[in-house]
Amino acid sequence: MNPYVPILVIGAIGFGFGAFSLIAAALTGPKRYNRAKAEAYECGIQPSPQAAGGGRFPVKYFLTAMLFIVFDIEIVFLYPWAVTFDKLGLFGLVEMFIFISTVFVAYAYVWRRGGLEWD
Amino acid sequence: MINFALEVGPTATPEAVMFWILAPIAVAAAAGMIFAKKAVHSALLLAWVMITLAIFYIAQDALFLGIVQIVVYTGAVMMLFLFILMLVGVDSSDSLVENIRGLRPASIVAAVGLGGLLVSLIGRATLGTDVVGLSAANSGGNVQGIAEELFTKYVWAFEVVSALLITAALGAMVLAHSSVIKSRTAQRDQSIARFRGASLANAAGLPSSGVFSRHNAVDVPALLPDGTPAPTSISKTLEARGDMLSSKPFELEEKEAEED
Amino acid sequence: MLTSPKLDYALLAPILIILATAILGVLVEAFIKQALRARLQLTISLAGIVIAFEQLYRVRNQGSSMAAITSVSIDGAGIFLQGTILVLAFVGILLIADQDHFAPQASALPGSIEEAAALESGRAQTEVFPLTLFAVSGMMLFPVATDFITLFVALEVLSLPLYLMAGLSRRRRLLSQEAALKYFLLGAYSSAFFLFGAALLYGYSGSLSLNGLTDAIHGGGGNDVFLLLGIAFVSVGLLFKVGAVPFHSWTPDVYQGAPTPITGFMAAATKAAAFGATMRIFYVGLDAAQWSWKPIISVIAVVTMLFGAIAAISQRDIKRILAFSSIAHAGFLLTAVVSLNQSGLAALLFYSVAYGLATLGAFGVVTLIRDSAGEVSDINRWLGLGKKSPLIAATMSLFLLSFAGIPLTSGFVGKFAIFSAAYESGNIYLVVVGVLASAIAVFFYLRIILMLFFADASNDSVSVVIPPLLTRVAIFLSAIVTILLGLAPSILFDVAQNFAYFIR
Repeated sequence: MNPYVPILVIGAIGFGFGAFSLIAAALTGPKRYNRAKAEAYECGIQPSPQAAGGGRFPVKYFLTAMLFIVFDIEIVFLYPWAVTFDKLGLFGLVEMFIFISTVFVAYAYVWRRGGLEWD
Repeated sequence: MINFALEVGPTATPEAVMFWILAPIAVAAAAGMIFAKKAVHSALLLAWVMITLAIFYIAQDALFLGIVQIVVYTGAVMMLFLFILMLVGVDSSDSLVENIRGLRPASIVAAVGLGGLLVSLIGRATLGTDVVGLSAANSGGNVQGIAEELFTKYVWAFEVVSALLITAALGAMVLAHSSVIKSRTAQRDQSIARFRGASLANAAGLPSSGVFSRHNAVDVPALLPDGTPAPTSISKTLEARGDMLSSKPFELEEKEAEED
Repeated sequence: MLTSPKLDYALLAPILIILATAILGVLVEAFIKQALRARLQLTISLAGIVIAFEQLYRVRNQGSSMAAITSVSIDGAGIFLQGTILVLAFVGILLIADQDHFAPQASALPGSIEEAAALESGRAQTEVFPLTLFAVSGMMLFPVATDFITLFVALEVLSLPLYLMAGLSRRRRLLSQEAALKYFLLGAYSSAFFLFGAALLYGYSGSLSLNGLTDAIHGGGGNDVFLLLGIAFVSVGLLFKVGAVPFHSWTPDVYQGAPTPITGFMAAATKAAAFGATMRIFYVGLDAAQWSWKPIISVIAVVTMLFGAIAAISQRDIKRILAFSSIAHAGFLLTAVVSLNQSGLAALLFYSVAYGLATLGAFGVVTLIRDSAGEVSDINRWLGLGKKSPLIAATMSLFLLSFAGIPLTSGFVGKFAIFSAAYESGNIYLVVVGVLASAIAVFFYLRIILMLFFADASNDSVSVVIPPLLTRVAIFLSAIVTILLGLAPSILFDVAQNFAYFIR
């Protein structure tokens, strides 16, 4: 059998499910429109067209993003390690332990210095 | 396990189909990335280019590279979005004013020149030559092969990478994290202030905003039992921004109250 | 089941000790109170460097090309350069110890209330110590790495902390931040070039190691387009790091904007590390293909020497002058690289010590000359300082004379060694250009000395501060070595000659 057939089948199922859900919701759902429904928040003030500061984020997000990247890269190494875990044996475990504990030092630093607090 | 990638050789039909569908999209997205005026659109198109490349990698037996491409570039593209949101804002567009005259034509010439040179040289060197050693390298599985190299031959480099990751975290903290120098008023301090203050009027907390059953939005001051609006019930920020509404229209009228 | 890799821990220990010290420093940042940190960090860093040096001394006569499988080869040149980097780092940390050069809180906006509060609270960004040590570990790995993956990782480990530290200056924050950003962007760009070149060389030889590359060149049959492009791109990455001419544009801005102790450390130690790696790559990996890169690198050496010397003349800021001077020195060191002989390697080893210490000393002196707003780097305001504080002015003059290569200083011996190596290898024109560039350079070094001693003081607000003890020690050490190596060069030169070999 052509190896691409399962992919096509999965793709067709995914597409079919999405299409079915959308169409079914549109056909069966009740439609009662009023002005309150069109508002962004039913209770609360209207959001301004742009947030304070011209829609720019505070630099705090950068810290979170950087931390994400650090652990993201760690996963890149964990992935092949996990796949070959049986073959690597004890030295593989020790290597990864050293690697993770070093990266964990960075985590400890960020945590202790309040990098994970938002306030 | 189904081997999604085909044997190396002349491009087989399914792969050709995939290529001819995805490649134009990838090139179009890459061109769009350059020509889009809004930075956010560029970032989105870049994400699309990256994902397309990942599919190509996987189709060409580089499973690890494809997965890493997706895993890492989700992070990288998120960073890109953040940088846009932090530095320029979502709605701003590129300025088309040249700060240094002649910079743009010069850079276009240089980029096209270098790109053309590289493409022609590398193309001449690679086109028509056979792929060597791929099936040997992938014999035990692509990811497994990389793992074996990484954790035996290049284990030293792998461990040193952890120094790089610590530096990155350290750098992010140094450049972006302000530790609090003056301690802020916490809940405990506020509680003490309420009870030790001049009067106990606010000891139970400030009134919450909104007029009962008429309008409970945060920008409408509450009405006190005597019918007067309570300015302390809404945020000072809203007041300063001029977003505070009057609670007059929402007051219960005397007449109605008597009927009940 | 795979067999576990064998690492020679005794030979790797110096690097491992520095890495462990850096990690310990990060833990200190995490768990120790602010008030104790600065002193503790200083002690730990200096102790780590001393222990690493001691271990290095212990293994000085050993060597192995299999220290970390095929990634690291510890040999004479490698050990000498690692020792040099440790000495430079030690002196550099003595300068860095003066926290007055660093922003109390780098994340505060320049000129904001937050920054003022941070200044008032007497905080210090003591992260510079672990960051410096991380950079040192990368620098120690860079000249001994023998495959392109390890080379690239080492390059990044040494660069990333430097990018960061360039942005930490206490005064003129915006200039400092600009310097950090420029250095980071251009550095990332050049790293990409290096990586691309490494990939192409892999495509050529089918091996990531320098030995494999040599074998492939000898064996022939590879695709020469890949070889040439690979050499070109790898060279771009390396030449950027050393600040050679077409890739020098970051140097003056970064040297000027970075905190002065960091500038000194960066100028001295990065040169030693980057030239060590350049030498190894060209010597071990690309020797067999020298026909393809020697002419162009020679041209770059010529241009670099002349450009650095000529461009420095028009500068008025002492840090920029020293930056252009470092560009010229990169040219001299490139001359040693293209000599491709043992005396060239010995000259490079000697020069990296002599130049490194003189640079640290010179930047150490720059930190002392201040007015109420901080360091005064405009040399027109240095007029007549020799009359106010003759000792400091004389020390500065000593370092400048060493840069100029005047006899009886270490700089003279270094230049002489490089030029004789170039002469030996038959590159007479490089010797001629080198001497010419040195002559031009003498002009602006002497001009500064004349300004210090033979002009009347124009501005009374400029003064020499009383140096903190550690800065004094650093400047004193640098000055002593500069004189000592000028008077009796053989003490170090013989050592350099004994250590001037690579293990393949």
